[in-house]
Amino acid sequence: MSAYIVKRFLLMILTLVGMSIIIFVLLRLMPGNIVDIMFDSAGFVDPAEKANIERELGLDQPIPVQYFEWIHGLIVWDLGFSYVSEMPVADEIQPRIPITAKLAALSLFFAILFGLPLGVISAVRQNSGMDYTLRCISLSGLSLPSFWLALLILMAFVQYTGSIPIYINPPDNLWDELLLYSIPAAAVGFRSSALIMRLTRSSMLEVMRQDYIRTARSKGASDNAVNYRHALKNAVLPVTTIIGIEAAFLIGGLIITETVFNIPGVAHFLVEAILMRDYPIVQNLVMLIALVTVLINFLVDMLYAVLDPRIKYAD
Amino acid sequence: MAEIDHRAELSRAGANVSGHWSRMLFYARQHPLGALGAVIVVVFVLAALFADVLAPHDPLDTSAPDSLKAPGTIFVMGADMMGRDVLSRIIHGARISLTVGVASILLGGVIGIVIGLMSGYLLGWFDLLMQRLIDIMQALPLLVLALVMAASLGPSLENTIIAISIPLVPNVARVVRSSTLSLREMPFVEAARAAGMSELRVAVRHVLPNTLAPLIVLFTAQLGSAILVEASLSFLGLGVPEPHPSWGRMLSESAAEYVRVAPWLVIFPGIAISLAVFGTNLFGDAVRDILDPRQRS
Amino acid sequence: MGYPLSAAAFGLGVAMLAGYAGTALAQKDGGVLKLYHRGTPPSGSIHEEATNSTVSPYMGVFNNLVMYRQDEAKNSLETIVPDLAESWSWNSDGTQLTFKLHQGVQWHDDKPFTATDVKCTWDLVLGKSKAKLRKNPRKSWYKNLKEVTTNGDHEVTFHLKRRQPAFIALLASGYSPVYPCHVPPKTMRTAPIGTGPFKFVSLKQNEHVKFTKNENYWKEGKPHLDGHEWTIIKSRSTRVLAFIAGEFDMTFTTDVTIPLLKDVRSQAPNAVCDLVTTNVSTNLIVNQDTPPFDNSDIRRAMVLSIDRQAFIDILGHGETLQGGAMMPPPSGVWGMPPEILQQVAGYNPDVEANRAEARKIMEGLGYGPENRLAVKISTRNISIYRDPAVILIDHLKHIYIDGELDTVETSNWHPKVARKDYMIGLNLTGVGVDDPDANFYENYSCGSQRNYTGYCKEEMEALFKEQSMMTDQEERKKLVWEIDKRLQEDAARPMIFHNKAAHCYQPYVKGFVTHVNSVYNNWRLEDVWLDR
Repeated sequence: MSAYIVKRFLLMILTLVGMSIIIFVLLRLMPGNIVDIMFDSAGFVDPAEKANIERELGLDQPIPVQYFEWIHGLIVWDLGFSYVSEMPVADEIQPRIPITAKLAALSLFFAILFGLPLGVISAVRQNSGMDYTLRCISLSGLSLPSFWLALLILMAFVQYTGSIPIYINPPDNLWDELLLYSIPAAAVGFRSSALIMRLTRSSMLEVMRQDYIRTARSKGASDNAVNYRHALKNAVLPVTTIIGIEAAFLIGGLIITETVFNIPGVAHFLVEAILMRDYPIVQNLVMLIALVTVLINFLVDMLYAVLDPRIKYAD
Repeated sequence: MAEIDHRAELSRAGANVSGHWSRMLFYARQHPLGALGAVIVVVFVLAALFADVLAPHDPLDTSAPDSLKAPGTIFVMGADMMGRDVLSRIIHGARISLTVGVASILLGGVIGIVIGLMSGYLLGWFDLLMQRLIDIMQALPLLVLALVMAASLGPSLENTIIAISIPLVPNVARVVRSSTLSLREMPFVEAARAAGMSELRVAVRHVLPNTLAPLIVLFTAQLGSAILVEASLSFLGLGVPEPHPSWGRMLSESAAEYVRVAPWLVIFPGIAISLAVFGTNLFGDAVRDILDPRQRS
Repeated sequence: MGYPLSAAAFGLGVAMLAGYAGTALAQKDGGVLKLYHRGTPPSGSIHEEATNSTVSPYMGVFNNLVMYRQDEAKNSLETIVPDLAESWSWNSDGTQLTFKLHQGVQWHDDKPFTATDVKCTWDLVLGKSKAKLRKNPRKSWYKNLKEVTTNGDHEVTFHLKRRQPAFIALLASGYSPVYPCHVPPKTMRTAPIGTGPFKFVSLKQNEHVKFTKNENYWKEGKPHLDGHEWTIIKSRSTRVLAFIAGEFDMTFTTDVTIPLLKDVRSQAPNAVCDLVTTNVSTNLIVNQDTPPFDNSDIRRAMVLSIDRQAFIDILGHGETLQGGAMMPPPSGVWGMPPEILQQVAGYNPDVEANRAEARKIMEGLGYGPENRLAVKISTRNISIYRDPAVILIDHLKHIYIDGELDTVETSNWHPKVARKDYMIGLNLTGVGVDDPDANFYENYSCGSQRNYTGYCKEEMEALFKEQSMMTDQEERKKLVWEIDKRLQEDAARPMIFHNKAAHCYQPYVKGFVTHVNSVYNNWRLEDVWLDR
């Protein structure tokens, strides 16, 4: 078991290193560079001054050198400066992490709150009208473009309440914060809950087909009790995986939602930084997102191993 | 009465004349939602194929007097800011969406199959390398990966397709690799090999067809996802550029700006995307149920 | 649907002045003005930028030597008033402009302001000082400035190479603040220091930029506000919705497009919205060095195919204006009046006749329905650029030209233009000051960095100089019309239309006047107060 953990951990590091190379190269492939963007607001590009700025930013050095400088910076926790604001990258990224983390947590909460029970109901009442309805709702959750949904929500809010649920000022207290995040979180959570519901349903169905459920039922336990108690208990495992996948999946969803609701989190920041070719921000943010994703996957695997003694980790 | 007779006649005829037809009817009855999805997909594909015939106007024609015209008899779904017909743009947009979807499936599918087959066959260092590469590709959420790819490549139809196809590669490669691993020890594959078939032919003739079922499931899912990701990229300013009438592009920027003055600009393309994705998802679910008996509900 | 509010606010300078005088009696101090911003300002250093993303929020940090009256909607030489300079005078041959400076002024970091700071600022712009600006977009404005000298701590003289009566118009722009000598350019970009009514507090990318009242401001009793804060919202639909919902006191500079204005008026009927010309024109840059537009006949045909009214009807709902290089009247001081404009080739309102003529030219060159000319129209991938390009392609279809849209990312646009890697580019040009000197030298003069097409003609240079040296402004105007006409007929940068947009604020915002011929000069905010 511990050998397995060590192996998984080393693979995780390897993945991150590979990621860092790929993202670094991809960024340098991008058409247009930061200096051209800097000059855009002045309405011209001065070649001599452009060369000066490139030297100042270290962009004139060979790409491998730039790469190793970045990695060295990561190790000694010197992430460099944002090209756009000329502020330290860490100062730019850090205050945005809790915002996204809170939003993600709330979204996940909504997703589980609705997805899990509805998935169970749908499985237990398989092929009933209820099942079809719930499946259609969950599929529509996966089919609506999230920015469209968010836009419709904004419009409806202004129309019917006269207020607009976007982030304008940092919230003063916990209650305001909850209110502020709950609408965007619900918008993201809707989509995630659809996925959770679908996967819960299929896991439940699988478990319900297995023998011991039938045995319990034949021993006279009432249908519903059996279905809910036994089946859910056994479906916990796959559902854990789903939630793990969801947590990573959420970050993608937040890119759109943070943009529409003007929430100053890391996902929105990533989009802006990509558009501005702010390499120091983009490469460090992407690494952060990769780290979170890989860590979650790792933890889910570990949890899986602990929860399910049947799984053996020979290799 | 006559109607029932007629239907019975048809089904009998179908059963006798064409096995495919009756099988389709059988599946349709078994999976009513899937049948609905299939109908939507067919409509979507037909719109894409015959856009030139179906669209009542040229999707690129601008016209000053028709700017932001509300839906009516001439412009069934209204006109956009530049006086272009929304319905015609949606019909032509189906072509863009289908192109992006199908091309990304082809591209991602081929790369994934090649990687998967080679990994499963060659094993060793190649397999190890590919497995790590796949790990890396999966270390980023789909939209983040597509976003970075789209930005690196620059906005164009081709690059959007590439950006959307990349996240498909690891899924396909995984499925093909694991099938290959289990199939290569199967008696019929060994028999083929014993009969003197080359490894490549064994792979293409015997192993690949047996991985088809899970691949089809993946591909139908990808079609819906490609449409959505393209729309999201366009919304973020990185998708298929103008003047292509992409659905995502139609929904972003000026449409969003005039959403309250001209809600039809946002409602109809939004419905088009949702319906197309909904249809492919329904269809995809049914396909999965049919092809993957373990998951059959 | 009428525009009841704009009638009062727009165009009637008298009404505005009267309103201003009325409110001047009882200003209330206090309160923070809340605005939204369309995107993170590229930096806080006004001298390094050519965008109102920087000027609007940061102008209040600084003072100029002189400025345009903030309460007068139409900028002209007559509306220039003292700022840091108490008075100014020209020498007899009009080559030396001397300013007497206000005494006892302090920078935000408590260091005293002196004449040296003024000299430093223009040395920086001329590239003479040791400290260097990263970007210097208005170098061309000061082509005629030889040097700046000080005479003691409170007097400074600008020495010109030749007479230029309108030189002072450039100094009055929001683009011409006085910088402190002791603060390096990098600090000016990130945390600028000025003498102005508001101090810079903080900038957070994609979030906000904040300014607070300068308690020691040298103008007695000003500013009235405790500060102003700009929330950054990239999506225009979202931010205008937020304004409608009452989250903001004021929109970003002329951010409300004409179709959106209808929405604001119906949803927020109390808001004050001024529909003004922005001094931003939508125009074409034509590459005259490579085929096919090296052929002047094809250029002429292309210009003739344009239905300017169609652009105006679609993109401006009939509100935007036709004009030449200079902003058209009544808002603009220097633009050609309609009767002269119509004589310019391609401005004839009979579009069908123009196009018939254009087709004849094209047929003469061997083009026709069966032999069409394929061209690329390059433009930035932003809707205000892209939308007119789409219309242009539609118009070119009428004269056997098939245009293909080539959308260019923001980062690639200027390099591409500089490489001359385009056939036709669709471009937007903003002019900081409604004065021919600013416009001609920036956009049409040999060697200017912002002269994208590289248009450079000796006889035009001579004319630019001639008008620049004229003292009689009415005579000058006639020459400017003549120059403008020649620029249009040369297809130097064919104008399509002059943009208009609305600036909106809540009714309790007082003391703010939207300028009608520049969006860059009215952001000192020292007179603004909140009647709440």
